This record gives sequence, C-alpha cells and structure tokens, in this order.
Amino acid sequence: MHFITGGAFNGKSGWVKGFYQLDDTPHKWISAYHGEVAGDLDQNLIVYEGIELMIREWSHALEFEEIRDKWQEMLAKWQEWEKTAVNRKIILIGSDITKGIVPMEAADRKWRDASGWAFQDAAAAADRVDLIWYGISQNIK
Amino acid sequence: MAEGSLIFISGGVRSGKSSYAERAAAGLAIKTEGKLHYVAAGKAYDPEMEARIQRHQDDREKSGLNWTTWEKPSALEEISENFNNQDIILFDCLTTLLNNELFRAEDVWRNREFQENLSSDILRAITEIRNKCRALIVVSNEVLNEPIGKNELVITYSKILGMLHTNIVDMADEAYLVEAGIPIQMKGEPE
Repeated sequence: MHFITGGAFNGKSGWVKGFYQLDDTPHKWISAYHGEVAGDLDQNLIVYEGIELMIREWSHALEFEEIRDKWQEMLAKWQEWEKTAVNRKIILIGSDITKGIVPMEAADRKWRDASGWAFQDAAAAADRVDLIWYGISQNIK
Repeated sequence: MAEGSLIFISGGVRSGKSSYAERAAAGLAIKTEGKLHYVAAGKAYDPEMEARIQRHQDDREKSGLNWTTWEKPSALEEISENFNNQDIILFDCLTTLLNNELFRAEDVWRNREFQENLSSDILRAITEIRNKCRALIVVSNEVLNEPIGKNELVITYSKILGMLHTNIVDMADEAYLVEAGIPIQMKGEPE
C-alpha cells in the first residue's frame, strides 16, 4: 500500500501517474472527486484519490469512532487483498486539509479531525508514504 | 550561478520567506556583482498594507544594498524588457499578483478562457524575465493545505495557484519551502 498526501492542487495525481507509469500500466482509477466510491478489486493496481472527500461523506452520518473503525477495516481488507498476489497494490491519495484556521462550522471541524485520523491510519497501514509539494516528492516512510 | 536562473520560494504567513528571499537575492548580487531589483505585486489599499510595504522597504534600505523597486500589481509581462543579464530580481509575491489579476473586473474570473490565458500569461512573463536576467526569485504563499470548500472563486483561485506553483517548481533551478524562518531546499543542488 502506498499513501500519497500533500496540499490541494499540488500535483499529487500527476506524480502518481508518472511514478507508476500509468499510461502504460493497466490500473483502475477511482476518484472521489467524481463521486466514485471504492468498489471491486478487479485490477492489480488500484488508485483511490480524494480520500478526504470519502471521509467527509462518512462524517455526515457517523461518529468519530465509527469512521475510524470503518476506515481501519477497509485498510485491513486492502492489505489482505495485496497479500494474495505479489503484484497487487493499492495507492491512496489524500489532500491535506489540516493546516488552516479552525473551521467555523462544527461539521467542517469534524471532517477535518476525521481526515487527520484517517491519514494517520493510512500512513500506518502503508508500506510507503510520499508527501508531494508542487510535483516534488518527499519519501517520508 | 548560471545565467537566467529561476528560484522559487514559498512559505506560510510570517514564515520569513520574504527575508530569506532578500538574503538570497543579496547574496547572489554580491557574488555576481549584480544589480538588485524588487518587483512588488502589492498595492497599498489601506494603512495596514502601507505600513507592511513600508516595513519591507525599510528593511531593504537597512541592508545597505541598492534596490530598485518596481510596482507591478498586474500584467507582469510588461516589465521584462527593463532587465539585463546583470540583474537579480526578486518578485514578491505570486499570490498577490493572482489576486489582483483575478479581481480585475467583476465576474470575468468565471470565464474558463480568461483563467487559462491568465495562467499562461503569468508563466510566460516569468520565463521572459528569467531569460533576460541573471536570476529571478519568485516568492509565493502556502495556502493549499486547508479545506477549500464549495466557493467557486476559492476553488478557481486554488486550482490556478497550485498549477502555477507546480509549473514554476518544474521550471526552477532551485525551490525552497520556508518553515519558521528556516529554508528547506526542495529542489536543486545543495550549496
């Protein structure tokens, strides 16, 4: 599992496409920005971008504990799936939304907190973590 | 230092990015016996802004070096012809320029073509100035690490700024992220 984070519009997706040569590699690209949700694991390489938006959806209906349990369960499921064949990989991309002023709306504060936790869990579950700053990667795990 | 160098420096508010950029420019000017230019995108709309601009000017004067100041709140491309290969240019800052350009006329920012022209004009201006001078230092802000929300103007602004930063870093010889006054080199050969 590979987790990629960094600020919005910092070139994270572009970096992933280049790093994994996705133009020439079969893969499935799931984008929460286009309203897509994590579905079947029917490719060996699966990219899931916009994790923070998925967390926002969840945070409307679920409590912190539930969000975290659900996310950790998902991560564990993906880790199991990766183990079933050598070339299987999940790539998670999440925009960092945690460095601004405390949001005015309670719902936004909840979303931001839940995203922070989710990113920590994703980083813990991943074998590799990269931080992207305007297209430049910093390998932090 | 090769001719036509481009250096990108970014950081949060009060991170010390401008002072670091000034030190870097001064260092280059001394090393290459170059001339220092300060290109300001900021315009004084209120006393707070005036004071801020004044403080920056005083700082530059105190440095004992000779800075030529240009005020260019928009249409950056217009000044490129003033420079030559002895010049070290500090441009401060990209976020302010983008602000000024996006708010030039009421609703024009909604136009997709306007947005595209705006970013390509800015990138072209940077390339032109860079090609004329010894070194161009572009200063900008870290503003893309918080929820962007649903405001279309904010989304447009963020998207263009992120795209500009990514392109400039790609073109740059060196790029720095300044945290609490400490420059972290993200691109280029370490000194």
